[in-house]
Amino acid sequence: MKTIPDRYGKYGPFGGIFAPETLMPAIEELENNYSRISRNREFKNELASLLADYAGRPTPLYLAENLSRYTGCRTYLKREDLAFTGAHKINNTLGQVLLARTTGKKRIIAETGAGQHGVATATVAALMNMECVVYMGEVDCERQKINVYRMKLLGARVVPVATGSRTLKDATNEAIRDWIANFQTTHYVIGSVVGFHPYPLMVRDFQSVIGEETRVQIMKKEKRLPDYLVACVGGGSNSMGLFHPFYGNRKVKFIGVEAGGRGVNTGYHSATLSKGRKGILHGSLSYLLQDVNGQVTPTHSVSAGLDYPGVGPEHSFYKETGRAEYVYALDRDALEGFHLLSRIEGIIPALESSHAVGWAVKNKKRFREKDIVVICLSGRGDKDLMEVARIEGSM
Amino acid sequence: MNRIDEKFRDLREKGEKALIPFFTAGFPSAGQTVEMAMMAEKAGADLIELGIPFSDPIADGPVIQHTSLKAIEAGINTGKIFDICGQLKSAMKIPYLLMTYYNPVYSYGLKKFAKRCEETGVSGVILPDVPWEESGEIRETLGERDLRLIDFVTPFTSRKRAEKILSGAGGFVYFVTTAGVTGPRGSFSKDLVGSLDLCRKVTGTPIAAGFGISGARQIKMIKDHVDGTIIGSFFARKIIEGKTESIWEIMRRFKRALR
Repeated sequence: MKTIPDRYGKYGPFGGIFAPETLMPAIEELENNYSRISRNREFKNELASLLADYAGRPTPLYLAENLSRYTGCRTYLKREDLAFTGAHKINNTLGQVLLARTTGKKRIIAETGAGQHGVATATVAALMNMECVVYMGEVDCERQKINVYRMKLLGARVVPVATGSRTLKDATNEAIRDWIANFQTTHYVIGSVVGFHPYPLMVRDFQSVIGEETRVQIMKKEKRLPDYLVACVGGGSNSMGLFHPFYGNRKVKFIGVEAGGRGVNTGYHSATLSKGRKGILHGSLSYLLQDVNGQVTPTHSVSAGLDYPGVGPEHSFYKETGRAEYVYALDRDALEGFHLLSRIEGIIPALESSHAVGWAVKNKKRFREKDIVVICLSGRGDKDLMEVARIEGSM
Repeated sequence: MNRIDEKFRDLREKGEKALIPFFTAGFPSAGQTVEMAMMAEKAGADLIELGIPFSDPIADGPVIQHTSLKAIEAGINTGKIFDICGQLKSAMKIPYLLMTYYNPVYSYGLKKFAKRCEETGVSGVILPDVPWEESGEIRETLGERDLRLIDFVTPFTSRKRAEKILSGAGGFVYFVTTAGVTGPRGSFSKDLVGSLDLCRKVTGTPIAAGFGISGARQIKMIKDHVDGTIIGSFFARKIIEGKTESIWEIMRRFKRALR
């Protein structure tokens, strides 16, 4: 099996380093530091103990028997919502901020959509006593107010971004601009498997703990590997973290659920792999939602964390090679998943994760009774309560 | 001979430096872009950069972000910008280049893009998000039509890297004066001149400095170490402020400062 990515950060034709020359020395330094330090025993031990004692790993793999009645198969939830700060994002920020500290950086910047990555970054920056600036679109600041307040409590400065669509894409632009100006002192913690190489690789590695744990847990419970792994895809970090450790197990099917918004033919969606075409955004070549002139188009999703026009290059590679299947759930499917899981399992899922739940329930005909399905419950829904109440109040 | 190469050769023979203004194509309108390019030539510009606006200009500051967004909203696109270039072909003597991000070019199609460049008299292309490592395909496609892909060097580029990047450089080297995005700045770091001289040792290709240039004082500081200077946001701000007419006198002053 060929290693992906290759040494140029390419996943087949996807990925790469589309960055301004100013950043190239910083990217090269990061690449060298990462490949050296990620193999270092001391670093690995420190990260492992932080993941265990600080972030509360391993997270449970829970057989959701009530949900299984709605999906018609044995359905497990990988409970990333129980990781510290309420989502899988902490896996990556612990890794990256520890790397930054080890390499002498004093300042941390991040972009955030739903605020989960921002909160996870601010949390670890507080722990490691580093200055932290988080860029967040104005629209997202409004719909995720609680997370803005959480970040401020943790000592981070939250910069609302008023350009473009004022969501995750624009927050990412601003974070990249900050990094171009301050790369000598600053580590940029990208929150998903996107961006220039080595970010998609590095974030995948740090998130692979999800899939590695799942493998051990399912073998213990079921004595066999699952038939399906289902996870939502925005940039694609929780899904890649779940999928990648099973890459070589060809019988384990990967299903990535994108945000179909109000419908993938309405223009109000974020279903990049379903409706986009190849393009370059934020440092890598991947699928991209764009118009005929190559301008990136505005996106929509009920969940801020999936509201992004790009997707990680490795997902594009999985799509192109048929390793994974990419589907979508509409806003209303996600809201149904949100309510259903709350009601029958007592678990309030994040709106992002609700896409995976909603899709699995709606498409239960795909599964046979004996199938084992693992859904990544990437985050908890507390942050979304106000937004759901607002949407449904006006419905 | 490529017209950029020719221009710098002529300037060197005359002992002059190039003044290279940048305009966002389609801002405030396509018609005004044509007029401004022609006015710039009269005011002493030696080459002109036209920007194809992109929705997500990560290397640009607030000024070019603004002009890009407005131009896109006003309906400009790559096809229309080639129409502008086609008009300039007969109206102007000086060479002009297109500057944009990779996605508009990739979306248009590399081969078709190069063909349209050649047809409309464009002499070179500048892509700030395509570093040397990713430049092979586009460089080859442009090269087949004798179009230059402009390489970037910054004060943070090591000598070894500069040697690698500039081994095949043509047209000119775009020297980014400072860390950060485009936009006027008050002054340069003291180390800038040293970085420029190091670049000079590495390559015989002309060097044009850009990013943050907004005054004759800055130009005088670097003029003996470069072959030209690129000015974008400073002029764009004048256009935004409704002071387009002031640009031509400023250009004449900048051209004098380059002597």
